[in-house]
Amino acid sequence: MFCYNCGCQLSEHDFCTACGTDVYLYKKIMFVSNMYFNDGLEKAEIRDLTGAVTSLRQSLKFNKNNIDARNLLGLVYFEMGEVVAALSEWVISKNLRPDKNIADDYIDRLQSNSGRLDSINQTIKKYNQALVYCQQDSKDLAVIQLKKVLSLNPRFIRAHQLLALLYMDSEQWERAERELRKCIDIDRNNTKTLRYMKEVELMLVPDETVKQAGGKRKKDETVRYVSDNEMIIQPLNVREPKRSGVSTLINLGIGLVIGLAVTYFLLVPAAQSNTKQQMQEEIRKISNESDVRAARIQELESEAGKLNGRIEELEARVDGFVGAGGTLEIYDSLLTVAADYLVNQDNMATAAELESIAQVADPDEESEGFRKLYQTLRGVIGPELAQSYYSEASEYFRHEEYPAAIGSFEKAVYYDETHTDALYFLARAYHANGNLEEAIETYQKVLELFPNCNRVSDTRARLKDLGATVE
Amino acid sequence: MINFEEELKKFHPSLEVEDAEDAIYNQDLTDMADLLVKMIKESEEESEEV
Repeated sequence: MFCYNCGCQLSEHDFCTACGTDVYLYKKIMFVSNMYFNDGLEKAEIRDLTGAVTSLRQSLKFNKNNIDARNLLGLVYFEMGEVVAALSEWVISKNLRPDKNIADDYIDRLQSNSGRLDSINQTIKKYNQALVYCQQDSKDLAVIQLKKVLSLNPRFIRAHQLLALLYMDSEQWERAERELRKCIDIDRNNTKTLRYMKEVELMLVPDETVKQAGGKRKKDETVRYVSDNEMIIQPLNVREPKRSGVSTLINLGIGLVIGLAVTYFLLVPAAQSNTKQQMQEEIRKISNESDVRAARIQELESEAGKLNGRIEELEARVDGFVGAGGTLEIYDSLLTVAADYLVNQDNMATAAELESIAQVADPDEESEGFRKLYQTLRGVIGPELAQSYYSEASEYFRHEEYPAAIGSFEKAVYYDETHTDALYFLARAYHANGNLEEAIETYQKVLELFPNCNRVSDTRARLKDLGATVE
Repeated sequence: MINFEEELKKFHPSLEVEDAEDAIYNQDLTDMADLLVKMIKESEEESEEV
């Protein structure tokens, strides 16, 4: 015990040895509190829970910090089915003494099982609902509700008492007695229970007159009472005939057979149906997965097809570069021609090689480097070669071998487009050979490309002879 | 003879778990020891004033 003034431990003296405060009355109060706690504990031990609650509450009125009294009060409430009241006491106790407090353990046990707490809350709600039904005179509903409450929380004394009261109201005295007996098993000294029990016992005891007449007439040795709308007559001193062991065994056998039949006809099909449902669910799941995979496979196959096409295209392009007659070979040929020309300075051979390259590939469609090299080579050998072809063609022309002359003049023009005479005599060769259309076209080209050359008047005259228009 | 209606009035709704918090907060925890200490302090103050 500690001094209320300075908090020091108190001794056997009536004053605080530390601060000198008079603690006589304070110690008396503490003693009274402890006395009530002891009283409450004794009552709780003999299951006088109502008495225990009264004593423990008294104890706490004297000393709210009596943790043992408070924890015991919570326990007693819990035993009476008053869970919320119990929880409240334990929470207060824990707040007053946070450490080394058994209330902590009680709270943990309740809170760790959320299902249990929910169930308790449901019972409380149902009890309250039953009370509302009673007030609304729906007694049947109230009885049903209270039965539910007691199946979930069989120690709920108030529910037992209310149910007993309802049975008493409907004159079902035996049932009322049964409920009250349950109450007494939990709490022996509850005033309300005892009062109800007295009433019930009064109703169940047979009349004095009947008792007296019983000596004369054994038939009247009965207990009579009204249940619902029926008069119940229960014979006294009647023993049930003893059953033989064989009949018990037969009954057991029949019960077993019925039990097995119920299991076979009700439980097995239900279990099978459940399994079948699970399997169907599984199959549906697998089927869905299979569909997804099939779609994926199709998608991948389509991608593979596209990639194969791309590979073939690239292979064709690679073949175009490296294969026979491919770009690389043509480039190689051109480089060889250039190299040969630099070494040999052979215009005719170079021209032949360039012509063979031009037959395989169009220089204008090749790379810029190829085109430049090709044109440079042709430009270098062109004038000399053109002159050479021109001389050759002139010889053919003089000997009136016009087709050969046309071929050579064409080559001369090809290698030197600025060679006026080669173009003019090409036109003349066409003219002489009878290729009039080509002749007219070539004459016009002479006028177009070389309008100031010395062959202009002659060209105009020949065009007039051919009947062509002269611009 | 017990009167059902009268007896029914003695039954009150039980506290639900949700109401426990309010019940705890509203509980008057003043005890005899608190009253004694208060009385002693008041009497000491009065004697000091005199």
